[in-house]
Amino acid sequence: MADRTFKTDALVLLSRPLGEADRLITLLTWERGKISAVARGARKTKSKLAAGVDLFTYGQYILYQGRGLATITGQQVKEHFQYFRGDVALYPFGLYLAELTGKAISGEEPCRPVCHLLLEGWRLLGEDLDRELLCRAFELKLADLLGYRPNLNGCFLCGSPETAWFNQAHGSLTCKQCGGGGVRVAPDTVALAVRLLEAPLRQVRLLRALSRQKEELAGLTGSFLKYHLEIDSLRSLRFFRD
Amino acid sequence: MIFPQPLQALVESLCRFPGIGPKTAQRMAFFLLGLSREEVVGIARAMVEAKDKLRFCSSCGCLTEEEPCRYCSDQSRIQNVLCVVQEPRDVFVLERTGQYRGLYHVLHGALSPLDGIGPEELRLPLLFKRISRQGITEVIIATNPNVEGDATAAYLARMIKPMGVKVTRIAFGLPVGGDLEYADDLTLSRALEGRREM
Repeated sequence: MADRTFKTDALVLLSRPLGEADRLITLLTWERGKISAVARGARKTKSKLAAGVDLFTYGQYILYQGRGLATITGQQVKEHFQYFRGDVALYPFGLYLAELTGKAISGEEPCRPVCHLLLEGWRLLGEDLDRELLCRAFELKLADLLGYRPNLNGCFLCGSPETAWFNQAHGSLTCKQCGGGGVRVAPDTVALAVRLLEAPLRQVRLLRALSRQKEELAGLTGSFLKYHLEIDSLRSLRFFRD
Repeated sequence: MIFPQPLQALVESLCRFPGIGPKTAQRMAFFLLGLSREEVVGIARAMVEAKDKLRFCSSCGCLTEEEPCRYCSDQSRIQNVLCVVQEPRDVFVLERTGQYRGLYHVLHGALSPLDGIGPEELRLPLLFKRISRQGITEVIIATNPNVEGDATAAYLARMIKPMGVKVTRIAFGLPVGGDLEYADDLTLSRALEGRREM
């Protein structure tokens, strides 16, 4: 019989109360992708698991895979991302990255690059940088890692560098002459999107954007994610508005 | 169906209790069948009466039989200190300690956007009204020490502090009877932060 116990690094994407004193956890694991697991007794004050099964935790987990849901039998916290708990302005950003990643990863599939991306995203959110821009860079990179890289190098119909629209269905830009509709994006926004897509995520520290550029970027990435990954109406977005 | 219909219906009803699976529900059902009729009626009546007679206090949101609740109407309690908790049962847990003599306010939840709980779903307008009208000088936030509870506490602190009211958070630390070596890093670091002089 195959060994049912395994050890993996993971990020906690979701943590919900279950039954009397348990927690149902959604983990993004290095080895097996997104899995759900039960942390028995994790809501009791003396539980050994309690501190490691809260949202925004990066740790090493020992899991037992029975016939149903996996059970967490041990954990060692590596990072806690305390700032999401104490800063109500940061909380929705961390939550957004977690929810977006959770929606984009459909199930048990190895996704180490996505794990690293989310880990870096959570770490960078604790720094003094433009968090909206970080979210846009995260969205573009996440789509890229999942095989949906937008083509931001000129009009996809005629090759003209003078583009005006982003067509979410084609994941490409179009110029004024070719038309085609979609989301309107100015050339300086396209240049910014290219930088966000190609440069390491931490480079967001060095970037600044006008509010108009941020709006256009949000339109570009939002429509792209909605069309290709069917990610729409995330609950964490409502918290941004509130 | 293995059981006669009334027994099957009882087992299914008991299964609706949190943490009760089919096996436990069957054990409970057979236990109930072993009781006298009067005892079963007593249990059923207690459940119906609790459901019928208890409601949430319009002021603090605690479970109560009378309006306002005994905590809100008790003038011997400290009237300018308010303890904010997540659920009505938390009031009884704090009361059990016998250490707190102020007023309560129950939020009926904690901020949890992923569960669709935002500020509008909590009893926040009433809290702010009470703080300003009842001359509250200190608000103790006793939400659960998890991400949702901490985010709610941070949100409340941000909203209440500008009203010129002292906002405090219950301390975090090691459980009584626990061993230091089994404590996690976060609990230990919070316990160190919250240390006090002896």
